Amino acid sequence: MSRLDNWFEGITRESARRVSRRSWVSRLGAVLVGGAAVPLLPVARAAERAASPDGIAGAEGDPSSCQYWRHCAIDGFLCTCCGGSHSACPPGTEMSPVTWIGTCRNPKDGQDYIISYNDCCGKTICGRCLCNRNEGERPLYHWYRNNDLNWCGGAKLQTYNCSTALVVKVAKEAQPEK
Amino acid sequence: MTSGVTAWRPTWLLALLVAFAPTAQAEVAPDDPGQVTSLPEAVGPHWVWVPDRALRRTALFDGAAGAMLGLIDSGMTITPKAPQWSKQRAEIYAVDTIYTRGHHGERKDYVFIYDARTLEVKGEVEIPPRAGDTGTGIALVDMLDGERFLVVLNQSPGSSVSVVDLAERKFIGEIQTAGCAGVYPAGPQRFGMLCGNGTAVLVMLTEQGELERITRSTPFFDVVADPVSEKGTRKGTSWLFSSFGGQLHEIDFSGAAPVPAAPWSLFSDKERANDWRVGGGQYLTYHRPSGRLYSIVHEGGPGSHKDPGTEVWVWDAGTREKIETFSMPNVLVPFIRPQMGIEAGGFVDWLLRALLPNLGVHSIVVTQDDQPLLFVRHADLGAVGVLDAVSGEHLRDLEEVGLSGVLLVVP
Repeated sequence: MSRLDNWFEGITRESARRVSRRSWVSRLGAVLVGGAAVPLLPVARAAERAASPDGIAGAEGDPSSCQYWRHCAIDGFLCTCCGGSHSACPPGTEMSPVTWIGTCRNPKDGQDYIISYNDCCGKTICGRCLCNRNEGERPLYHWYRNNDLNWCGGAKLQTYNCSTALVVKVAKEAQPEK
Repeated sequence: MTSGVTAWRPTWLLALLVAFAPTAQAEVAPDDPGQVTSLPEAVGPHWVWVPDRALRRTALFDGAAGAMLGLIDSGMTITPKAPQWSKQRAEIYAVDTIYTRGHHGERKDYVFIYDARTLEVKGEVEIPPRAGDTGTGIALVDMLDGERFLVVLNQSPGSSVSVVDLAERKFIGEIQTAGCAGVYPAGPQRFGMLCGNGTAVLVMLTEQGELERITRSTPFFDVVADPVSEKGTRKGTSWLFSSFGGQLHEIDFSGAAPVPAAPWSLFSDKERANDWRVGGGQYLTYHRPSGRLYSIVHEGGPGSHKDPGTEVWVWDAGTREKIETFSMPNVLVPFIRPQMGIEAGGFVDWLLRALLPNLGVHSIVVTQDDQPLLFVRHADLGAVGVLDAVSGEHLRDLEEVGLSGVLLVVP
């Protein structure tokens, strides 16, 4: 159901209108199942959600939501929806040690945090809970700010499965890239 | 009277028998098993490759006929890379990544060589297992002019470029290109790249395809304030790139070092004030014979550089004037039409177009003939719109092209 939810969010929310690395499964599912699934959305979505790890209410505190505050520069399938979590990879995959980073504001304490988006690698695409947001994202030549790249380059296998969003530390300065 | 009727009846029956005799005899002849089609010798001016991330293959379509012509496979990357077509050798080259046990095992990267008529694999060249892989697939691989050398961007995430001699079918070497990305051909032995310090580099090869030297431009953009997108389009020995904010940069790679021209704005002050921006995936394309430049545009703020748009604007790159605004067709409808058994052009088709939101397009490409077509694609909707690139008229849709992807490649 989260796929359908994603699609309708895509119509109304700016974030989900963006091109992504791998958003096709969510779009396809949405289109094919159509309106019949709409009434089920809140129930299904609630079942998908875990308790907020950061003590924030609503979508901004929900790691299965594209609006989760750590997701401001993510591009990929959310590992929370794939058997892992926002900070852990699903079974049988490996967390890539090299990553791209974003700087996201925590709505609870108002501070900016450096977020590391570690891809989980070694199995094929998860295909669930796609999220693509590009705050401060930069082209391929500025690679550590680029979320198009397959970041499984540092893992044993380069097949991409899903993406996590790890807090690195509080950012001392505001992110220059907008 | 009675005899007359009797005499007429045999004639009438005979006429009926004669009339229907050919039909009765024309049974469908048995087919010969094992037949396989092949592509025509000449590459059509309106053909387009449509790589697909979900189906892991790249299909070839004839945009004028609206027909699929065939496909080539791809392996375990996020997106298939752009196929390269040698007209001289009638070969197609596909850079691909495989694992020895399917989804796992040892990674191996190859340039697979296809016969351009039969689409059968007829050879391969193994290259370092570092070929870059991105969600868009843009500027990761290209064939240099003269069709001898193929260049492949490696990014793991350190950047280098593999060079392959296509005529000799051998890997030549790997050139270190730290801090730079994208490969932009500009001659038989040269290609450009964009770099994170706001410059471009020119990589020049010897006649044998080895590194001769790398030269660098002066800085011409600010990667923090207004970065130049790597989603460029070729104009002879130059490449055109737009910044996120719509500054159009032309980089000439024909000399000893890359020469960036002074940029010009795709948007007027008023348009910029109204937040018009370029954006999407492969959003910029240039028609070399006419000098027309096309870009997907949208209204958005910082961070919207991957947003699709429902309009394509057209500029005369010579006069730098905006000359056309094309409205993009709703490609959601041709995507779902075949799934629902809806006929194109019918009432339900019309109704869906009226009711369903137009999600816009992420990618465009214009053919290079004198009656050009503009192909348009949304990254997550498996249909390609076909427009007259001069008038902007929506001519037709290519249905069931796949499920997802950004690239559109004119061979």
